[in-house]
Amino acid sequence: MDIVRVWGEIHPMRLRVVLVSLLGLSLPFAAVVSFAHAAPPPPPKPPAAPVAPASPTLPKETIARLKSGDAAQIKAALDDVRMAGKGGASAAAAIAELLHRGLDPALTQSAIESLGDTESEAGSDALAWYTHHRNVAFRRAAVTALAKTKGAVAVKALRAAMSDGDAQVRGFAATALGALKAKDAVGDLFTALEHKVNEAAVSIGQLCSGADCERLANKLGAVPFDVVVGGLDQILFRGGTDVNDDTKVKIIGRIRELGTGEANKFLVSAQKKWPEAWSKRVKQAIDQAVLATSGSAGAGGAP
Amino acid sequence: MSARVKAVVALGAFVAATVGASCGGGITSPRLFSSDWEDDGGASIERVRVQLAGAKPARGADVVVGVAGNADKLVGIPLTSGPKWTFAHPLDARPVIAGGVVVGSGGGEVFALDATTGRKLWARDTGGLQLRGAGDDGAVTVITFTRTGGNGAVLLAVTRDGKIVRQIETDKQLGRPAVLQGLAFVPWGHQYISVIDLSSGNEQARVTFRETVSRAWTLNEALYFGEVGFFRFDDRIKGASKSLASHAGLPVRELPGGPLLMSSGGEREHPTTSARDRIRLYARPTGPQEALAIDGGIFYATYFRLVMGLDAQKAQIRWVHTHAANFLGGGAAAGALVACDDQGKVTILDEASGAVAGDRDLGEPLKSCVVQADGFQAPRVASTEKLADQLEKAVTSPDADLSTAQRILLKDLSVMSDESATRVLVHLASDPRTPPDIKKDARVGLALRRNGATYMLDALALRYDYLKDVLVTPPVAPIAKALAAMKEARGAGPLAMHLLDPADDEEDIREVAAAMRVLATPAELPALEEFFAMYRGNAQGSDMEAAVVDVAKAIWALGDKKARALVEAAAKDSLTVPAVRSQLEVLVAPPPTVGDAGAARD
Repeated sequence: MDIVRVWGEIHPMRLRVVLVSLLGLSLPFAAVVSFAHAAPPPPPKPPAAPVAPASPTLPKETIARLKSGDAAQIKAALDDVRMAGKGGASAAAAIAELLHRGLDPALTQSAIESLGDTESEAGSDALAWYTHHRNVAFRRAAVTALAKTKGAVAVKALRAAMSDGDAQVRGFAATALGALKAKDAVGDLFTALEHKVNEAAVSIGQLCSGADCERLANKLGAVPFDVVVGGLDQILFRGGTDVNDDTKVKIIGRIRELGTGEANKFLVSAQKKWPEAWSKRVKQAIDQAVLATSGSAGAGGAP
Repeated sequence: MSARVKAVVALGAFVAATVGASCGGGITSPRLFSSDWEDDGGASIERVRVQLAGAKPARGADVVVGVAGNADKLVGIPLTSGPKWTFAHPLDARPVIAGGVVVGSGGGEVFALDATTGRKLWARDTGGLQLRGAGDDGAVTVITFTRTGGNGAVLLAVTRDGKIVRQIETDKQLGRPAVLQGLAFVPWGHQYISVIDLSSGNEQARVTFRETVSRAWTLNEALYFGEVGFFRFDDRIKGASKSLASHAGLPVRELPGGPLLMSSGGEREHPTTSARDRIRLYARPTGPQEALAIDGGIFYATYFRLVMGLDAQKAQIRWVHTHAANFLGGGAAAGALVACDDQGKVTILDEASGAVAGDRDLGEPLKSCVVQADGFQAPRVASTEKLADQLEKAVTSPDADLSTAQRILLKDLSVMSDESATRVLVHLASDPRTPPDIKKDARVGLALRRNGATYMLDALALRYDYLKDVLVTPPVAPIAKALAAMKEARGAGPLAMHLLDPADDEEDIREVAAAMRVLATPAELPALEEFFAMYRGNAQGSDMEAAVVDVAKAIWALGDKKARALVEAAAKDSLTVPAVRSQLEVLVAPPPTVGDAGAARD
């Protein structure tokens, strides 16, 4: 199925699922999606390195067909590149050249998607052009593809795309910036969040450092709860040292202060999936917050 | 007995029954208002002029009089000094200010008030006659009436003590009269002024005009006639029938609502206003010391809440005043317009600047009002507001009643030579609050501008940006047209940026592409190539197709070999939109040689 073309009909959180699958994001992010759907959370697992699927080999004549000038041959070659995925990276320059020279609508769409599938940074410049094409389908496809081709050009184009007139383009761009670890874009993402680009919350949660993380927590009350906690969940379940326990405890405290049923449900969810080996101090803060909010109207209670 | 004489006799009987009980006047001369009169070439009017040589009409009172309540109260206030006055009386017609008196009618009587104080001077029964006009020379007030149904008219001359010294009835319709030294100057037949000796009732003179005349009045210590324009009773009056009399008229120009300088002096003016009263022209003739012209070189047009000051020679707009309430009436004073609004406020607007030079307050909402400003001299006040800003305020005033005027004012704005007009047009064309019709006109006007490029460039710097809350695009198409026409090199870069902005509409893109053919430099080549590549196979619709072709021409004209190769390849590529490709083929084809041209001709 052509993912980009059906996105407009998908619920925003399902969009997240689609994009997660496209971007191959790690477990904690997927867990957020599960919470948002109120489904039972999966048992905590230690973070595992993603395993890249084996890519089919790109047919030898693909590059030649891309340069043939014949629409049918170009289409077939682009399909081969899509099948090859990252294995089609060697065709990235040729596809970029096609986009730089111009194609008809069907081939343009196909070329953008194929170029994204190559995950080759060589495609970012051509894709950046199409983030401001008048055809909104091209813009959405280009932004999605840039999330995969990465690089400074991609980040610059994605930051600009958050100002697009189309809500989906803005949302895709915000999500992609999180996936690309574009820490410099955190300021823009906050601006986007303040402009109802809700996807920015999760990306902020993925990218923020201490003060910015607390700034996101302070959005509780001003921005819908389910939007903000998407980002706060990201912060709580970020490993490594870039978000320290103090920050996480403050965020839990901020959620606890809400004293609402939905706050309790979120905390219970976090409590259940908190990895055994992770910070006892943070776990204790979660436990206490769950207890403190268990009496709230609509709360799930304390386990 | 002829039919005419019978009619006169019948009218005479009617008047006798209504106002004649205390009449001391004589009977109408049968030659009076006769329609078989032959033009005397100005001989009789010249005799009157000589007879009156040196006689100056007295200055009239400077006063504003409003109809208030349920058309049952008059409120007056002097323009210079003095308290407001009121006079309660039913009213069936608009009051008339004549010299130093206010003449009103209603409740079956006609009455006169001292214009400055509102003190009642006299009242007489009318028996259903309808007030038309009045003139006053300080001793006698001459009043014209029409019978209900419009069958004939009555003229009364009344002294200050209420005594009727002359009563004339006729089957003709009479206009607004004036009085000077016991002579009544009575307009009738839309072209005549008859001079009637009030002591004898005889018609001493008559003058024919070649323009509609239904009013006579005194001003500037002189006597004037007119309706469409102004004639003056001076040493040139004898030439009136040959269009040689002193005359001043207003230039013709498009004005909202087709305003009139004066209504017909023979028409009834209701005590409450109509749209005609809100849409008016005002002007003042110059005094007898100088050739007759429009005083101050300016005339005024009102349109509901707007007043426009207009050049009396070129009809160009000088200023616009946007008011808080609808204007009901006014009068041109020396150096100013005195206008009253439906809230009872009297505003004095400086003739040169339109600035408010003073105000008065009648204290209550009005049904109508009349103004007489004879000797009143308004203080001069400069405006701190540029004409372009005044026009902007008027054009953007949120009032559906003003839309017709606003579109006309926008045309004035568009042709102004001042650069600030460009700024205002850019603003109007950019502002999402601008009504669609106005915005459309502003875009047209902006495209025709040939100065103010800086304002256009500033506008182009704004692009749609969701995160910066810039949710509208500038008026790119008209700016592109104007910048190209001005060959404004600074426009190339900003326009090239808009070429690639998906928020701009297709009309904008088409015009930017056209402008690129004029303005593009090698610095714009990357943007041109990007646009060309992205749309040569994806252009949808005639605007985008035209844009792609124009961009190709711009690229071609720049002569860069690599860029030209892009165009040449597109001309041969089946993926290029056919309508674009066919034009690219022509563009890249080598120019025909002389021999080829000859062969083609053969």
